[in-house]
Amino acid sequence: MNFYEHTIIARQDTSPSQLKQLQEKYSKIVEKNEGDIVKLENWGLMNLSYLIKKNKKGNYLHFKIKADGKTISELEKNEKIDKNLLRYLTVKVKKFDLDTDYFKKNSEDKEVDRKTKK
Amino acid sequence: MKKRNNKKKGSQSNFSKLSVFQNNKYKFKKKCPLSGKGAPVVDYKNIKLLKRYVSENGKILPSRITSVSQKKQRELSLSIKRARNLALL
Repeated sequence: MNFYEHTIIARQDTSPSQLKQLQEKYSKIVEKNEGDIVKLENWGLMNLSYLIKKNKKGNYLHFKIKADGKTISELEKNEKIDKNLLRYLTVKVKKFDLDTDYFKKNSEDKEVDRKTKK
Repeated sequence: MKKRNNKKKGSQSNFSKLSVFQNNKYKFKKKCPLSGKGAPVVDYKNIKLLKRYVSENGKILPSRITSVSQKKQRELSLSIKRARNLALL
């Protein structure tokens, strides 16, 4: 068993319900292949620093997975086909750091503030 | 006279290490800011940290300017490339 960090970027126009479907779809794939999802982070809608397929923003989902290499290849096979996704990235790590959250709600709060002010 | 000349040469050679377009804040720090106790962790999610080691055009800054150690520079460049792939940088 290895530890992996897995990040997905979904299109900007996916609705929250669709996002949940995506979440469930991929967590199911992991669980079917005898993997464990240790943590799931939703970074929310963030600005992309460059355009990807004419998208300015993207919905980020971040998984921390404990699984074998086969599971990851199965995951990526499915993600390659998926049209709702822009990018994915898997990084193998030796240890999870579950404490630090680099994309906490601070940035989201600011956005919410701006919206309410407008 | 000779001594003065030497001094001038020394300062010039130091200056030539820096690119003309660099800001002054990158000048001549001796220690590596990323190694040692209490140093921040280099990670592709830590964008605030990575942005410090990237030029305005998005290029990775050379270690001779930022005085990052070799080992950490390798980590940095890898995590910057990961962040680029995720469109974070």
